[in-house]
Amino acid sequence: MSKAAIHYSFDHEHLLGIDGLHPLDLTHILDLANDYAEATRSGKRADPVLSGKTVVNLFFENSTRTMSSFEIAARRLGADVVSMPVAQSSVKKGETLIDTAMTLNAMKPDVLVVRHSASGGAKLLSRKVDCAVINAGDGTHEHPTQGLLDTLTIRRNKGRVEGLKVVICGDIVHSRVARSTTLALHLLGAEVHLCAPRTLMPSGTETWGAASATSDFDAALEGADVVMMLRLQLERMDGAYLPSRREYFRYFGLTAERLALAREDAIVMHPGPMNRGIEIESAIADGERSVITEQVEMGVAVREAVLHLLAGGRS
Amino acid sequence: MSLSIYNARLLDPASGLDETGAILIEDGAIKSVTPGAASAHEGAKSALDAGGLCLAPGLIDLRVKTGEPGDEQKETLATASRAAVAGGVTSLVVMPDTKPVVDDVALVRFISDRAKASAQARIYPAGALTTGLKGDAMAEIGLMADAGAVLFTNGDTPVSNPSIMKRAMTYAASRGAIVMSRPDDTALKGSGVMNAGAFAARKGLAGIAKEAEWIGAARDLMLAEATGCTLILDQVSTLRTLEMIADSRDRGASVFSTIAAHSLFFNELDVGDYLTYCKVNPPFRDEDTRQSMITALKAGWIDAVVSAHDPQPPEEKRLPFGEASFGAAGLETTLSALLSFHHDGPLSLLEVLAPITSKPADMIGLPQGRLSEGTPADLILFDPNKPWLCERENLRSRSTNSPFDGRRLQGIVLKTFVGGEQVFER
Repeated sequence: MSKAAIHYSFDHEHLLGIDGLHPLDLTHILDLANDYAEATRSGKRADPVLSGKTVVNLFFENSTRTMSSFEIAARRLGADVVSMPVAQSSVKKGETLIDTAMTLNAMKPDVLVVRHSASGGAKLLSRKVDCAVINAGDGTHEHPTQGLLDTLTIRRNKGRVEGLKVVICGDIVHSRVARSTTLALHLLGAEVHLCAPRTLMPSGTETWGAASATSDFDAALEGADVVMMLRLQLERMDGAYLPSRREYFRYFGLTAERLALAREDAIVMHPGPMNRGIEIESAIADGERSVITEQVEMGVAVREAVLHLLAGGRS
Repeated sequence: MSLSIYNARLLDPASGLDETGAILIEDGAIKSVTPGAASAHEGAKSALDAGGLCLAPGLIDLRVKTGEPGDEQKETLATASRAAVAGGVTSLVVMPDTKPVVDDVALVRFISDRAKASAQARIYPAGALTTGLKGDAMAEIGLMADAGAVLFTNGDTPVSNPSIMKRAMTYAASRGAIVMSRPDDTALKGSGVMNAGAFAARKGLAGIAKEAEWIGAARDLMLAEATGCTLILDQVSTLRTLEMIADSRDRGASVFSTIAAHSLFFNELDVGDYLTYCKVNPPFRDEDTRQSMITALKAGWIDAVVSAHDPQPPEEKRLPFGEASFGAAGLETTLSALLSFHHDGPLSLLEVLAPITSKPADMIGLPQGRLSEGTPADLILFDPNKPWLCERENLRSRSTNSPFDGRRLQGIVLKTFVGGEQVFER
């Protein structure tokens, strides 16, 4: 254990974003998550550090993948889990986010895992409740556990994060994944290049720590260690932000030909769910350089680590 | 009934007067202004020693929203006027976007009658420019003007059809009516909720680009030039819009600008972690823009500063940022906000007062807003240096959605007079 780590303790009440975390926090979460990943792989049962604790999954937007991932992570640590896909429930009848939160808060959960369509939704909720809040995606703002799982996947495959060239390509402007992952990778010293058509590229990405922002995918891929493709919402194509799907695929789709521009040992990532044939060719998504399923596996491990740190006492 | 206020620092931006002296009020009007006087006017029934504090015309606010009629839970004319006089505002123009919309004579009269019955300040109704503010048919501009509407506006939702806007302005010009318009291309503004830029992108919030204001302003300025209609561009937020206004003036158009006091005080970073009290339209801009607007105010390029008072109750503000309503309560903080540019900035006290007294009075043709004989005795006595903490619990508006909540400010109104009557004392 290094000297710096001896005096370290994770003293955050919530996990609302990567923004506000220290590189030591990240390393600490990733180390713990890696232990959980290894334990699961070797068939070891995790200590029930959340035994007797209640974790509520409050999802105002539908997401089977993320909600199940949190659910599995919490159960592995022995927590009682209640999952509420509120997208179809009382919230539709005019009950506000705050009213729902106050109601749940009165039931004394230990952790609220929240996904909401509005940027700042998790932050707003954290002001009104007494328990730990984990942001599982708020609008187009952040999705911190995704940023962490991406970073862990990269670290495991490359043995390090510092100095790597990472290219993130797709709908950057609407992507909370792009924000969280860029922030996390930058904090740990990676060089992150963002790539998107100009209509889907926000301004000021240098404040997230991005090394460059370009609409030339081929140039960006030069010498890349990691290529991460983002999901393109289908409603954003067909004339609104882009002329057509095929035009997008022509300039921004990841093909075998294009991947050859990156380093030979470059890995391919995608936060899912994928639009095969639009942002990524099937052969690449399923190919040997793809670590997309490992991302899903690390998702559970990272969520175990975060739940442990926020609700399971200090490690 | 006469009152002499003496030992006061008389501040009158209309005449440039800034001198200690006395003022005599008789029958609700200013009877005489006597700079240099060392004591009260002889023969005055009562006398008030101002103790060297500032005596100035009451504030004239060209843009106030209340909830009356229709949204009285937000604000009534009575509660707005209570907040107004506490902030030194003695005349206010109320916007027509109520329920129902103030788009006919009966509603103009309703506002005037309710104000007379319940309000401590002078309240002037603004009429809707188009029926129901729908933007497709012009309202009865002439009849409403005759009934007392001082200007015509489509409120927060600009008329999108330029042909209808042009005809409404042509007609208004023929009746000598003033049109006030929010320069905003609503399609380009889209679903934006804060100033477009790096901070909005980082926060994942949709931005409102400055181009939306410029395109809206360009259209309305050209229509003002073409129709001869007097136009007030409501709540300008960028220097470039002011340059466009100056250009139109050079071409002979009768055009004016206002700015919201909070837009001079805050920048986009004040939105911070999704603080919905800082969600206003136009949005708080970047710091360079804010600084340039303070410089423009100093140079006299901005005609009037408004509170843009827009009361919103908690159910409209305790929401995720994107879903919360726009608007900030501002009646009680306009003067203090502007005084900060005297204490920490380039403005003299007269420069602070001009855009909130004589200039807006001249724009809409009101006799008050100045210290001159024969005009209504709407006056404020204020201490320009007194520090105070703005806490929303202490605000008098029915809705206390103030971005100044928790801010330390310097300078505050101690007494307010409307028509010679003291209506507020702190």
